Amino acid sequence: MSRQPVIIDTDPGVDDAAALLLALASPEIELRGVSVVAGNVGLAASLANACRILALAGRGDVPVLAGAAEPLCRSPVRGRHARIGVFAEDIVPPAPACPRPEPAAFFIARQALAAAAAGRPITICAIGPLTNIALALRLHPGVAGAIGRIVMMGGAFRVPGLRTPWAEYNVLADPHAAQIVWQSGVPLVVLPLDVTQQALFTEAEFSRLEARGSAGGRALAGLLRRYDRSDPARYGRPGGPLHDPMTIAWLLRPDLFAGQPATIGVTLDGPTAGQSWADPGPAAGPAPNALVMTGIDEAAYRHLLVERIGGLAAAAPRAPAVAEGTA
Amino acid sequence: MPATPIIIDCDPGIDDAIALLTAFVSPELDILGITPVAGNQPLPGTLRNALQICELGGRSDIPVHPGCDRPLLRAPLHGQFHGRNGLGNTELPPPAKSAEETGAAQFLIDTLTHAAGTGRRVTLCCLAPLTNIAVALRIRPAIAAGIARIVMMGGAYREPGNRTMTSEFNVLADPHAAHIVFSSGIPIVALALDATHQVILRPEHVADFVATSGRISEVLGALMAFWDRNQPERYGSRGGPLHDPLVIAWLLAPELFETRRARVFVETASELCMGQTIADWYNKSGLEPNADIVTRVDAPGVIGLLRDRLSRYAARGTAA
Repeated sequence: MSRQPVIIDTDPGVDDAAALLLALASPEIELRGVSVVAGNVGLAASLANACRILALAGRGDVPVLAGAAEPLCRSPVRGRHARIGVFAEDIVPPAPACPRPEPAAFFIARQALAAAAAGRPITICAIGPLTNIALALRLHPGVAGAIGRIVMMGGAFRVPGLRTPWAEYNVLADPHAAQIVWQSGVPLVVLPLDVTQQALFTEAEFSRLEARGSAGGRALAGLLRRYDRSDPARYGRPGGPLHDPMTIAWLLRPDLFAGQPATIGVTLDGPTAGQSWADPGPAAGPAPNALVMTGIDEAAYRHLLVERIGGLAAAAPRAPAVAEGTA
Repeated sequence: MPATPIIIDCDPGIDDAIALLTAFVSPELDILGITPVAGNQPLPGTLRNALQICELGGRSDIPVHPGCDRPLLRAPLHGQFHGRNGLGNTELPPPAKSAEETGAAQFLIDTLTHAAGTGRRVTLCCLAPLTNIAVALRIRPAIAAGIARIVMMGGAYREPGNRTMTSEFNVLADPHAAHIVFSSGIPIVALALDATHQVILRPEHVADFVATSGRISEVLGALMAFWDRNQPERYGSRGGPLHDPLVIAWLLAPELFETRRARVFVETASELCMGQTIADWYNKSGLEPNADIVTRVDAPGVIGLLRDRLSRYAARGTAA
């Protein structure tokens, strides 16, 4: 199988870190860049965390791009775990924050157009608020047609939100950007809370991550222990979800998922701004704009994540490559 | 006095064309670039028209950077008074020059970042929906430090709207972009319908412009004649409001304008009032003013200024 060209658009974030590590541990994925957006934490902390995770895996050569510092129209809202800020140094060692000079939206648009021209359309894994991608879509009329697909973590359709009762965080944080992306015509694969909450991680997984001995596995176990994500009252059993890496898992093993086409949309204004809805049809209305995931093989997902990240061999550190086209 | 560096963000558009032709012959202005956006016409039309107007005015030296092809969120909305091609059906020769490769947002970010570094801050002349400016501000908020001010045509405060009951075209076409710009903290001079409806280009003015504008007189006369709304019950006489050229006139002769500071809000949620601009004249919001809203215009002064400028095409001869 040829490697898939991927950009990860992210706001790290503990589960973003897990997504980055899973992508770096997967030879099926050719990581073209990491575009960072303000979200769970502010832009400076998101950038620092992204660079630290890449450095931890010895992949400082992957381009990191600074993106939007605030949402398109609404005032900023931070994640439930915003207090994390920059990852604790005893878990994820410091590394220089190293964004390229090119803004994230320009990078996304340029990479998408180049990849399509080369006949290998790019996949964007969107695991933060969708501000950068929305901006990229407005830069050039050809961008929407050039992006191969967007695989995103976001939305909550049949379950309550985590950040508010009516909304999932990534959509709540920039509903206008979600609307732009969802109406863009780009093929969408959506992993909402409905599916991400079906797989929980407990101390058993943390221990196995650590036992395999990779720096990435040990750091992720440390982050998950320090910042407890479990909520037995909500999930009905011990353990906490790891939302964002499910996008990477879908790229690697779509056979682990159940899903269905649906028309999805978002409320832009008013007291329930950020609420997402999904119409599985065949109600009257526009054709489905998304493939929405509804089920996951929990054991296989946990195994994939633990085995891949636990076995992540640190690459020999590479010097950051010279930025293409940004001199 | 050194020339004021400006970028003209526009969607030509007849009144955009008159604004551009006025700016081209005004040595007080250093036009760094033109950034057409979808508005009065879809992007290919506004881009072509901008290039053609540059060539008509002998200013093909000015780079033209293609902007956004649609508003941030709203469905595209186009003008009603600009004819089939955006220039009142006037057919200009196909442009010899093409647009730059670099898009408007990147040009704005590069130019304004540089300006922030040198301290030679740039005035943005906004004659169109504000999509290009909003996108650039969200990609790189630090460019605000490179902007001296935004002088914009758009909005309607005490005057009713011109596209809907409440709303003026440029704001209605991209209200979310207008919200982003008015929330940016950048100094804004707002020329709304309140101001532009005070300056009606009447048929006798048109005859005078045609008689004095030399080598562009034929095209200028056709554009201006097309602009006549023929709606005296609304505008007090024959003729059409000189919306966009007022932005250039303000830069050249601000003493012809009276302004009042106020906080401006843009409606982005209500379908009935979408794109309405609301001025907090009496500080009900408790928020700092964010705009100087033009309330009165010396109309004969502005008409005289434009006549003087456009007569320079008579002196310049035909060479570009």
